[in-house]
Amino acid sequence: MIMPASLEMRLAEAAASGIRYTSETDAKGIACAWCTLARAEDLLPAAALLKAMDARLSTITVFQPKAPPAAAVAEGEEAPPAPTFLGGDVANDGSSYEIDYHFDLDGDTVTLVAHVPAGGAVDSLTPLFRGADWPEREMMEIYAVGVKDHPDPRRLFLDPGIEGAVLERLIPLSTLINSATTKGLWEKIMAQTGSPT
Amino acid sequence: MSNFTIPVGPLHVALEEPMYFRVDVHGETVANVDIHAGHVHRGIEYLATKRNIFQNVVLTERICSLCSNSHPQAYSMAIEKIAGIVVPERAEYLRAIADEVKRVASHLFNVAILAHLVGFESLFMHVMEIRERMQDVKESLFGNRMDIGANTIGGVRYDIDAERIGYLEQQLAWIENALIEVVALYRSNGSILGRTRGIGVLSHADALECGTVGPVARASGIRYDVRVKAPYAAYDRLEVPVHTLPDGDVWSRAMVRLAEAQTAIDLIRQCVRDLPDGPTTATTERPSIPAGEAIAKCEAPRGELIYYVRVGESPKPERVKWRVPSFMNWDALRIMLRQAKIADIAIIVNSIDPCISCTER
Repeated sequence: MIMPASLEMRLAEAAASGIRYTSETDAKGIACAWCTLARAEDLLPAAALLKAMDARLSTITVFQPKAPPAAAVAEGEEAPPAPTFLGGDVANDGSSYEIDYHFDLDGDTVTLVAHVPAGGAVDSLTPLFRGADWPEREMMEIYAVGVKDHPDPRRLFLDPGIEGAVLERLIPLSTLINSATTKGLWEKIMAQTGSPT
Repeated sequence: MSNFTIPVGPLHVALEEPMYFRVDVHGETVANVDIHAGHVHRGIEYLATKRNIFQNVVLTERICSLCSNSHPQAYSMAIEKIAGIVVPERAEYLRAIADEVKRVASHLFNVAILAHLVGFESLFMHVMEIRERMQDVKESLFGNRMDIGANTIGGVRYDIDAERIGYLEQQLAWIENALIEVVALYRSNGSILGRTRGIGVLSHADALECGTVGPVARASGIRYDVRVKAPYAAYDRLEVPVHTLPDGDVWSRAMVRLAEAQTAIDLIRQCVRDLPDGPTTATTERPSIPAGEAIAKCEAPRGELIYYVRVGESPKPERVKWRVPSFMNWDALRIMLRQAKIADIAIIVNSIDPCISCTER
């Protein structure tokens, strides 16, 4: 409960390409602020500012925001360019990623929001916040998002033999357990062990 | 002395759940530890986006058994924030009661296991017997011993009348008396002190650096408790003392948990004393949840649990993300284990009260 009134101004100074800042305080007096960065390159300076304010990195959320509905285009007119996040250079087309860095400021929450295209990368916060290590490793194995200069970019939960970005595609259970169908599994066992009789 | 690399886990008698530690030792002393996770990674965050908003109350309760109540509570709080649902005051107190009942049982389980690892089996069984009383309370109040199903979006799914309050107070009095004796034992017994004092030390600076939370942080002198720093449910109306200790060793973590178990009993009594009349849910109809996003936090037995929920136009959430306290505390374990003796590995690992199902989801 120490979120300073000047936080928006200080974040705007740190993130040179621009921010969109909103904050709300709940009925119990707990504040929650959201700071969307126009460019992901501003992530490190914004995070460094929060570090200097003794913020703690709580966690990192990654997901693919759905594309907004396409605007109707009259016949003969040229389709407008694909929308981008906050006027930046990342297309808001359903394939890009939103990465939310949730920080704790003595009970209040500040979330830095960065956008990257599929296959893009963000700077690692691990050199600033040791606690970013595991969330960033998890981010790299689940989504098609890279992390630049991560000190230990090994797999966290998934085996290195599994293809990355697992949340990008459907993996049927039958494939996961290495048999196309139950019948396929039975036939595979029979082929190896012979007739049950 | 020779250098060896020894495996601990993933299946090990001292680990409640699977985790693999690759331990480099120099003689009897740990030189380095590498932690390999992923043995119970079930993809529940993905599953949460395939269930509707209301089904996820049930799903999140099944992420973990020991802090099962905290998950649906934080998830419901996030949804309530998105929908602007105001939880009735009685439900806020009932949520705090459920939270504290679970905290007593969870903390006692951990300190009981500590006694077991020390080889003090009679103490282990005695603490588990005390915990069993809280299990009976859960069974009597909620109908279940682990997944108590107390929370729903907009309030709670249980209520207590005078008869149940009488039973609860009777059990609390018994547990409170038994705990006084147990705390004195953990404070003075030579076997406990010899195996826990000065073992697995995490300094205040390291605890801050790792971003530790819960009893692990508080045993290293970090005065942070979500119930006080970011109060939810009825905690803004309760007196919640924050227990800290300066030494950051295995003993300090156990003593913080024991003190918190005692405090939890007092908090339940405060709730029962001040329990207002009124409804237990904001609405009897299923509430409409608009698009939006929100963050909610609560103090699970192991520390800060944070939920992020984003809802779009679909009845299924676009993203549900949570970070459990153990997730932050694993890293600190590498510091605690540095220069430790091989014989102390299990005791130190247990001292962070690790929850692997929670960590890996």
